[in-house]
Amino acid sequence: MLDGVSAGYGGHEIVHNVSIEITPGRIDCVVGPNGAGKSTLLRAITRDAELLAGRIWLQGTEISQTPGNRLVSRGLAWVPQLDDVFNTLTVRENLELGGFLLPRRRVAARIEEMLELFPLLSRLTARVAGRLSGGERKLLAIARALMPSPSALLLDEPTAGLSPEMTNLVLRDQIPRLSESGVAVLLVEQRAIEAIEISARVHVMVSGAVRTSREAQELRGDWDELTRLFLGEE
Amino acid sequence: MSVFISALGFGVVTAAILAISAVGFTLQFSVTNVFNLAFGSVMTLSGFVAYWLNQVGVDIWLAMLAAAICGGLISVAINELLYEPFIRHGVNLFGMVIITISVGLIFDHGLQAVVGPSFFSYNAPAGKALHFADFVLTRQELAIIAIAAALTAVVQGALQYTRLGKAMRGLAVNPALARACGVPTRSVIALAWFVSGALAGIGGVALFLDISTFTATTGSEFLIVIIAAAVLGGVGSPRGAVLGALVVGVVTEVGGAYWNPQLKDVLAFSVMIVVLLVRPQGLFAQLANERAVAR
Repeated sequence: MLDGVSAGYGGHEIVHNVSIEITPGRIDCVVGPNGAGKSTLLRAITRDAELLAGRIWLQGTEISQTPGNRLVSRGLAWVPQLDDVFNTLTVRENLELGGFLLPRRRVAARIEEMLELFPLLSRLTARVAGRLSGGERKLLAIARALMPSPSALLLDEPTAGLSPEMTNLVLRDQIPRLSESGVAVLLVEQRAIEAIEISARVHVMVSGAVRTSREAQELRGDWDELTRLFLGEE
Repeated sequence: MSVFISALGFGVVTAAILAISAVGFTLQFSVTNVFNLAFGSVMTLSGFVAYWLNQVGVDIWLAMLAAAICGGLISVAINELLYEPFIRHGVNLFGMVIITISVGLIFDHGLQAVVGPSFFSYNAPAGKALHFADFVLTRQELAIIAIAAALTAVVQGALQYTRLGKAMRGLAVNPALARACGVPTRSVIALAWFVSGALAGIGGVALFLDISTFTATTGSEFLIVIIAAAVLGGVGSPRGAVLGALVVGVVTEVGGAYWNPQLKDVLAFSVMIVVLLVRPQGLFAQLANERAVAR
């Protein structure tokens, strides 16, 4: 899906020649040290960073030039690391905006489906998103992104700032369930070990380039190898 | 007591005009984060459109409707042609303020060059005075109050309950996420400018009706009081703007009646400063100062 992507800001290249293919029902994770360009890579897909070279495809359609607000209609959803909800809107209104492109009569039913998927949110529908705890907020952000039933979901460090229990809930429980439902998940995560445990493929990114892409199974248990890759050793 | 009540009547009329304008000012600001100090000039320009129509025999209320449409179009044009190029170049909030002041001055002085420095007034009788105990209001004043109540309720209702209104509120707090949800941000921003300009147009005609004579700079002179009402309510909150308008309108008229009418503005800003000392975020808080200009 990503083919030779280079990206950055103001013409300055941060991500160099990255190719990653994601598949429905599978989790691909991108791990790497701070400043490796993981978030910039996601932001290049969502048009929030400049795509300097390469092409991006989603389900056979090229989306490299698609404006940011058309990506959702092509089936792409995105949960940013920060500013992931509409702070001044209620939980229900956040979900409604997530379903902005759905036919009006579908919205209420889809919100009910989301509340079933994330029961923690169901008693909070009238609460303003800015007053949620970190974990509740992240679940809302994911639910909001899932409203239009996307085919691919980009998650940018979903566990940043979460408590250990919430990290567990989000990473080990919710995200695998999403992928089982048939969504292709591209997960960028700081907690490399936990991310690798739930992923099918791992892409290790160092200094703006993918150092290696492997089946997660190969890396599990071989943490020395992972450390070596993180440190940039060949 | 009768001085108080009649001053209260004037205060409510002033508040109505302030509310229409302050809601327009604050709505556009909350969505785009451009602190548009050319707003007063849009009021004046639209007010003059109504004047020219009124001169050729068009009823003033119909002329007000035309002024609303003109104000909306002028406002969209100012944003698209004058502000957008600067925003695209990444000019910051403060830079944009300077640009909006310049645009306002260009419009005011351009208009003055056309119409001259004289005073103008509409050809519109104030209508019969209606007495409610000591409360005296003309039909015209009652109409202005009714229009203000209806417009502010419609704007508030639309923001609260419609899909587009929610998209506008979402865009105001998180433009990147609104885009990710599929909100056509450019169109929604254009709509915010249109509604803001339309309210400026209606507010302008209402103001000129109320003060009966006006010049090419009257709107801009009034703008500072509109900003006081908007800031008092918490910039970015239409509900707050209505409350701010009521406080500023009533305090200035009642205070002016008892004290000295020359000191109305002194009162307005004293109230604003005292309130902001106690509640720096305004009566209705909305965190707008942390954001960049929306694009």
